[in-house]
Formats: sequence, structure tokens, C-alpha cells
Amino acid sequence: MSRVSKVDILARVEGHGTVELVSDGKRVVDARFLIHESPRFFEALLTGRRFDEVADIACRICSICSTVHKIAALQAVEQAMGIYISRQTALLRELALYGGVIESHALHIFCLALPDYLDVKSINELSEREPQKMKTGLKIKKLGNFIQESVGGRAIHPFNLLLGGVGTPPTPEVLKEISDQIRIMRSEISETIVYALKLEEILPPLSPLEQCAVIGSYQFSAGKLMTSTGRVISADYGVEWFNEHIEPYSNAKISRFDGSTPLFVGPLARILLSMPPLYSENFVDRSIRSSLKARAVELELSLEKAEVLIRQLIEAGLKSEQPAVSRSCTTEGVSLIEAPRGTLLHRYRFDTNGICRAADIITPTAINQSAIAASLKELIVLMDGADYDQIKKTAEILIRCYDPCISCAVH
Amino acid sequence: MKKLRLAITGMTACSGCQLSLLNCENELPDLLEKFDFSFFPLASSPLDLIGEYDASIVEGCVSMPHEKKLLLELRNRSRYLIAVGTCAVFGGVAALKNDEEREVLRKQVYGSSSIVESTFRPLPLNNLVQVDASITGCPPEKMELLRLLGGLLAGALPVDSDYPVCTECRIRENICLLTERGELCLGMLVSGGCHARCPSMAVPCEGCRGPLPEANLREALRIYAEKGFDRETVFARLRRFCPEWRL
Repeated sequence: MSRVSKVDILARVEGHGTVELVSDGKRVVDARFLIHESPRFFEALLTGRRFDEVADIACRICSICSTVHKIAALQAVEQAMGIYISRQTALLRELALYGGVIESHALHIFCLALPDYLDVKSINELSEREPQKMKTGLKIKKLGNFIQESVGGRAIHPFNLLLGGVGTPPTPEVLKEISDQIRIMRSEISETIVYALKLEEILPPLSPLEQCAVIGSYQFSAGKLMTSTGRVISADYGVEWFNEHIEPYSNAKISRFDGSTPLFVGPLARILLSMPPLYSENFVDRSIRSSLKARAVELELSLEKAEVLIRQLIEAGLKSEQPAVSRSCTTEGVSLIEAPRGTLLHRYRFDTNGICRAADIITPTAINQSAIAASLKELIVLMDGADYDQIKKTAEILIRCYDPCISCAVH
Repeated sequence: MKKLRLAITGMTACSGCQLSLLNCENELPDLLEKFDFSFFPLASSPLDLIGEYDASIVEGCVSMPHEKKLLLELRNRSRYLIAVGTCAVFGGVAALKNDEEREVLRKQVYGSSSIVESTFRPLPLNNLVQVDASITGCPPEKMELLRLLGGLLAGALPVDSDYPVCTECRIRENICLLTERGELCLGMLVSGGCHARCPSMAVPCEGCRGPLPEANLREALRIYAEKGFDRETVFARLRRFCPEWRL
């Protein structure tokens, strides 16, 4: 049992990445987040496919984020094809998105990040240290999946979300069941969220970075981006503004923006940019080290939002509808949306036969790479003199604060 | 009882098969008691491969040299190697354009940059190593994963399904989307085991579980043609998850 072989993968993140430390022989002088996930070339895979296949294929970019990829792709294709969805479909999609946020945040907080805060290595150890917290966490995660399943037919790769509508809407009974579960779990969830909010920070306070998020990001599907540097960017200009570049150390393209300052996206960015002071005041140091707490706040808000949406759906009465069809075609569609991990963009161009001729997908983790690099640089300075293993461990914790989703980043 | 040592990891994929396991929220605490998830980067560190494994559960297809190396290493260390999910079994969505030059696809995404030049055509696991059992699906059903793990505890491996999605669709008394609604549903050619999840919600089967052994493709093409779907359209749809469909 003693044969050991080193596998250099950053643990407890989705996909394959590594932290590389550069040492001058005595001290660590640099740190880099290397992304060596294998690309599937999704943008190339999608070209040549018919418009009605795009979303089914694009959602396979990532499992954790499949609902939001599916909806982003559907919206972009619908825009290009002149397909207008019903209010019921819009509400159902929004509900599915909140289900995705609940699942993704619960997974991150309780399975991926909490081991860092408790200084254990895995969910195995976590289940021994904090069995109750882990059980509640898994229950919340399950609830997020239940919402996604009820609307999308499946928690991963939701097939029931279609171009122009849904296959079969959930029954009022199922929706009530979701609301009931939220109600039953309310105090347990609140306790757990308070617990997360009270966790002692494990990283030094890193200086705040600039942020961006979709305007009114809790509506998810607005067409504009807002930055903390005071800019507003329309979806049509999104690809150009993110300004992706290729670096040899990352298989994921890196957003450079206008080249002046790195921006980050995600729950903390959303809270700082678009939430009332009641929420944003909890994050006075605006530092990425508090991102777990931002996730906890969003988790609770998402559960509330889900209940509101369910009430609206039930009040309106759920109807079986035929998916809407194309009315007028243009050649291009862009969708800008907030995924659990931050801003996501899908852009497609079609020829007159509805065949996809170009695809662009920009994901939160790809966007966050320059902010991650800036945070790592700062951490190295702050930890100057600490030993290699300590720095490596802390750098990994820092990267997990950005909750990277590497399948998404490379795609 | 001694815990079974498992290695669970992904190759070129979306992590969906591994996430399906983490989505077994009710069963997870029990699983942690019965299995030692010794190598499971998605859920735990440390990450060195140490000693032998009772089983390796591998998601995804292989498209990079470091994946090939890891797969061989896992094979050498494991009593059983189990391919989980359509990518691992058939190639999956990543293999969608396996009939085109890899370099052309790479250039389309990365332009003139020399990044990821070592990528090769995505291969299912059994093209490289002996695979002892397979579970298909994009993603696989949770119940199938649990059955796999339960089986391992009893020293058994899962068997491949030998009936199409249509069989399960009939059992659920769904309206046939192909014959009654004229939609391109692939159920008759595709391995069952999903309880006809999609057709049961009036969404045509997109074939995510891959080809049924002994699928009668010729007869199916005749039926599709009667419904107005030409061969090219049907093949394009079939090859979404498995590039190997041929007459």
C-alpha cells in the first residue's frame, strides 16, 4: 500500500487546475493558478449545428452550472430567432435559476469550502467533525436540486427547458411541496447560515478589487453589465468588452477588460453592486476572503425568491403551453446572465438556414482569472517569509474563495 | 467490515457523473461509512494516488496525454475500473466532431496560439484500457450509481441494459412522440435505464445514453424516413453523444 504517485490537482474545485508557486531558492516570489483542464472546443462543436440543438449541447459545458448554461443559450437563440416566451416560462426559468444558485452555493459552502474553515481535508472528515452542519448543508443542496428537477426535469442537464417554453410544467402540488420544504427547513437553514456568517476568516484581508455584475442581477436576465468603476456595458458589446486573451498557463481564455484593472464577478460582486446597504454593509472590507459569506447571504435570499416565484406561478395557474415559435429571424443573439458563480455570456450567429456559424461563450471563472492572479500576488507579499507548504495551502484556499468552475472556464 | 477503497475522478468531461454521486444527498452519509473515497479530487484533498483501489470510477473521455497517464495508473492500481457516463463509455458530446481534424477545431477556438497542441481525438476509456463495467447516461441516473456501489459491496458488477428507452416509455404509458406527434425521438435505438425520463415529460429522447446493443438502425431509419426525417438529420442527432453510429 505504499506506492505513492503525485497528482497535482487543486482539490475541492470543479475541474482540473493547479497552484504553482515560484521560489527563488529561499522565498516564494510568485504564485499562479494554472488551468490544465482539457478543452472540448465547445465553440467549435456548436458551429454547424441547427439552432434548435444549440442549448442541448451547450448545457453540457458544465454539470453544476448546466441549468444556467441551458437558459443562457436558450435566451440567445430565442433572441436571434425572434422567439418570445410566455410569462409562465419566464417565471419557471427564473425559479430553475434560483434552484441552481441554491444547489451550487450549498455545494460550495458545505462540501468544498467548509473543510478549509474547519481545517479538515475532505467531506469524509467534515462528516465526522460537523455531522449536523453537513447534513443540513446536504438538505439545502438537495432542495436546490429538487427545484431544478421539478422545472428542468433533471438536476443536471435539464431537458425540460426548451426553446420557447417547457415540455411539461411542474404541477401545483410539486411547487407547493417545494414551498413546504422551504418552510419546514426555515429555522434550520437560518441557523446554518448564521453559523456560516460567524465563521472566523482564515485569510488575511486582501484589498478590495473592482467588480462587475449584470444590472439588477437578481432579475438575472437584464441586458446590461454594470461595473464598480462606473461603466455600463450593453450585451451586444459584451464580447468585445471582456476582451479575452490567451496565456500559456491557462487553457481558459482570460478577460482583460480595458487593460487597466482586473474585475471580479460572483456573489460578492453582486451584493456589493446591486444590494441595499442592509446586505452590502456586512462586507465592509469588500475583500474576496468573505465570499463564502456572500454565498450564504445569497443562499437565504434565493430560498425567499423561490417561494415568491412559486406563489406567483400558482396564483396565475399553471397551464400546459405549446412552446413559442420563431417569428422573425436576425442573425445574432446575445445573452448576459448571472450564473451562481458570476456573469455568463453566450453569443451565437446563425446563417439564413438557422445553422450556427459562430459561438462565443464567456464564463465567470474565465472572467475571474485576472482577479485571481492579482489576489495571489498580494497574498505572496502578505505571507512573505512563510514556508512553501503554508503558502501553497493558503493560496489554494484563496482560489476556492472564487469558487472556480474549471469545466466552464475552458469549455 | 473493511471499507472499500475507491478512486473517483474525471477526464475530459463536465463533472456531471461525479456530481450525480454528490447529489445522492440522502445516501451520502451512509456511503461515507461504507466506502473510503481515497482519491476523489472533487470532494477532498489530499490527492496523491496511494496503494491499490478496490475500484476506480472514471468519468469522461480521454483527450490529453496527462489523462491517458492517469487512466493507466488507475487501471494498474485498481481491481475494477468502471466507466461512468456517456463520455467515458462512448465519447459523448466532446467527441461530437471526431470526424474533423482536431487541429482545425483547436484553431477555431484558440486561433494561432500554440496552446493545448497535445490534444487528440476524444476516446472512450475502453479504447485505452480494459473496462470492467459501464454505466451510461448524460448524466447517469443516481439510482444506477447507487446500485453500482451497492453491488461493489457485494462483490458484483452492473450489467449493461439490453432494452431500449421505448420499452420503459411503453411501461409508463406515454404518448409516442414519434408516431403520434411526429417528433424526432431516438428512444427505439437508445439504451434504456432512465425510465424514459425525457419522453415522460413530452420531450423527445435525444439519445444521451448511447446505442442499444443490437439496435436495428436500418429499420429505424425507414420509420424515421416515413415520418419525414432524412438520414442526415437522424445521424446528426444520434452522433451528438456517440460518434460511432454507422449503418
